[in-house]
Amino acid sequence: MNGISLGFVVGLMVAAVIVVCIYKYANKDGKVKTEYDERQKAIRGNAYRYAFYTEIFTQTLILWLLMSKIELPVENYALLFIGIIAGCTVLAGYCIWKDAYWGLNNNHRRYNIIIIVGIILNIFPVAMQAMSGTLIENGKIGMPMLNITVLVMMAVVYIEILIKRAVSKKAEAEEE
Amino acid sequence: MKNLKLKSARAALDLSQEELAVKCGVSRQTISAIEKGDYNPTINLCITICRVLGKTLNDLFWED
Repeated sequence: MNGISLGFVVGLMVAAVIVVCIYKYANKDGKVKTEYDERQKAIRGNAYRYAFYTEIFTQTLILWLLMSKIELPVENYALLFIGIIAGCTVLAGYCIWKDAYWGLNNNHRRYNIIIIVGIILNIFPVAMQAMSGTLIENGKIGMPMLNITVLVMMAVVYIEILIKRAVSKKAEAEEE
Repeated sequence: MKNLKLKSARAALDLSQEELAVKCGVSRQTISAIEKGDYNPTINLCITICRVLGKTLNDLFWED
């Protein structure tokens, strides 16, 4: 195992620990697992289906682009992030609009803070590399593509949350 | 079809959707969806709602 592989594995392990800590902080009952009711579970099942379709479609499109020898300003390995993140964005978006995004034990305020921190943490490396001129090397974007795609996903999810909140408040007022 | 029986039973106990949802262990949106007729709850959730509101399944979920 070379240095890069070892670093990647250690990085994943550290990330797993951080994710567990974040979930414990973000859930009201300190549990790692988010609880959903029966309606939310059913909707989330559909959301996973649409996310799967999206990923299949995106990966097929990327495969076609690569086979067609169409030059993209992104490294081939970095293209894989796009499919994964596209699927995750569809999953989150569908759940948000169908009221199945927030679990029963989620602390909304803390989740909002985590999303905003996530956006800032992903802007930082991209901005630093853009300023130092290392964002694009040999005409292609490599690992920073991960930050860019995650940044786009988190921004889209956060905007959807804000819009949904405004729409729901109006609907609630009318319902009462 | 809207479930007005559930809405009136909830209102009779002066419970908000949020309060009923917490007592039933579901989200407020799920109670709202049941009242609006957008979601058909499972029998288990129907029973839970009936127990919380002190009603029978016939009272809340049977359509004549």
